[in-house]
Amino acid sequence: MFVLLNQLRRVRRDIAAPAPVTRSSLALRHVDAGSCNGCEHELTATANPFYDLAQYGLNVVASPRHADVLLVTGAITTRMKPALLAAHDAMPEPRLVAALGDCALGRNLLGQPDQHAGALEQILPVDIRIPGCPPTPAVIAAALIGVLERCSRGR
Amino acid sequence: MTVRRAEPLAVTAVAATGWQTACLVAHRNGERFEGLFATAGDGETVELRALFSSPAETRLIVCKAGDRSVETLVDDIPAVAWDERGAHDLHGVRFAGHEPLRPLLDHHAPLAAWTVPIVGRDTHEVAVGPVHAGVIESGHFRLHVVGERILHLDVRLFYKRRGLEAAAAGHPLTTSLAYAQRACAACAVTNSVAYAQACEQALGLAPDPELGRARTLLLELERVYNHLHDISAICAGVGFAAGTMAYATMKERAQRLNERLTSHRFLFHTVRVGASDQTLDAATVQRARSELRELRDEHASTWRQLQFTASLQARLGGVGILTRDDADRLGAVGPAARAAGIHRDLRSESPHLSYGLFEPVEAPDTPGDVASRTVQRALELDQSFTLLDQLLAGPLTPGRTQTAFDPAEFGVGRVESPRGATVCVVERDEGRLRAMHLRTGSYANWPALAHATAGNLLPEFPLINKSFELCYACADR
Repeated sequence: MFVLLNQLRRVRRDIAAPAPVTRSSLALRHVDAGSCNGCEHELTATANPFYDLAQYGLNVVASPRHADVLLVTGAITTRMKPALLAAHDAMPEPRLVAALGDCALGRNLLGQPDQHAGALEQILPVDIRIPGCPPTPAVIAAALIGVLERCSRGR
Repeated sequence: MTVRRAEPLAVTAVAATGWQTACLVAHRNGERFEGLFATAGDGETVELRALFSSPAETRLIVCKAGDRSVETLVDDIPAVAWDERGAHDLHGVRFAGHEPLRPLLDHHAPLAAWTVPIVGRDTHEVAVGPVHAGVIESGHFRLHVVGERILHLDVRLFYKRRGLEAAAAGHPLTTSLAYAQRACAACAVTNSVAYAQACEQALGLAPDPELGRARTLLLELERVYNHLHDISAICAGVGFAAGTMAYATMKERAQRLNERLTSHRFLFHTVRVGASDQTLDAATVQRARSELRELRDEHASTWRQLQFTASLQARLGGVGILTRDDADRLGAVGPAARAAGIHRDLRSESPHLSYGLFEPVEAPDTPGDVASRTVQRALELDQSFTLLDQLLAGPLTPGRTQTAFDPAEFGVGRVESPRGATVCVVERDEGRLRAMHLRTGSYANWPALAHATAGNLLPEFPLINKSFELCYACADR
């Protein structure tokens, strides 16, 4: 256990991530609306010691009721659209919606048109756009830290 | 061990009335069921295909079901259950004797139609999903419980269905690879190679050794980052953050290596039908080799630490048991089946890849619980590091194929994904794809996962789920 923790401490020291610039935080809720699982892997990776989004006050929360930001991944399938809308409805205001990855942005979709509900833009108001197939954890981290900085300045 | 050569796919055409008999004869002869697929035929007809394989041969049994009806295989081959339910939902095929034939993909069906009725004192249902509490793919679970004890689990997937297979039809064979790759990021190489091999068999092409080596290298790179991810996820399943982060760190390093070698963290766009453009010079392979050796050592030392963490070990043993008989009966594949004592791995029957005389690694003890699935992955990781070290012994040059036999209507590709045997059957119409059928290791294992959940406590479900770590995208397509 101590060996493990020392290993992790070493990784953190070698990476020397930039210090948090704000004391604010944003609670994130993720909804997979029909992804290939790539965006989920990369979003999960933003918690690893190389990026460690939690140190900036960016945490994934279990319920949309506790969330400030809805992170939507995937080509919005007709089968996931009702659950996506229900998650959005459950969020308190003010709230932000992020399209995470090219599919959610409606780019280069593959599949049958009748299985797709359209780009996220046509379904919910999109505030944040994070392109990539899938966007790398570095890109996701930079985008979300940017949102946090903008939100805390705007207060 | 039988070493197979490049040859056309053996196809046996039967009448609809002889469907059940032909398939059951294959099954009784010891051929292993690897998938049942339906394709829309001319007019109102539906055509059925069943894939069976033995170490010596893979065989496709095909039939035209004029009135959309055949006799079921499910009583003798329980592994066919999801395939038949899916063929019914998508193509309206009736499987006489499959009672009740519950909906699988049909999300309009009422709850009572797709769940197993569980009644009795204090029984109730816990509904989970499709949106889960963590960063997880979407799917719905109905857990039938008494108190904390799970009696039965009904799984409803296919929320992420994009219709990839149907959309791929009609396009040129070479471009449709994009649809197979898109099915799942974590199995992108596996699905692409299975598709490419299926096309090559249909086109009568045999790969040269360098093409086989390029694909083997990519497949093992994919296995390494996935297995690292899965061990990290199992630690997360019991809330052991130090283990989760240690393996997440190794996964990140593996994915950064993927990016340096192929310009993509998930190895996208590295597989082509009929050729390979991947090149790596001597200096690059040497650097990759030393990075992988470092990762292997770090895995070894971290794994040792996990062995001495009593709070972790106490949560893994005896949970989510999949017995050998059940694994065999339900058609389980991959590390989950090997952890239950079925020592089968498609890498040992892959003539077009550079596995040589591959023997799947065997754990000393295989009770089929969460602990043994974790151990199995750790052992396979070590084996993959050894394979990669051999594969990276010299620079990588482009690979090609050559014509080896006459083109045919069908082709099949069979590849061992990090989650198990993945098969892809293609139906060819000149240079175009008539139909693609992808049956991934995840799809094959979902019924086994549901079965292994019964009898456990409700809070153990996430851990059991993570110990299989099946893709939803791969199953939904």
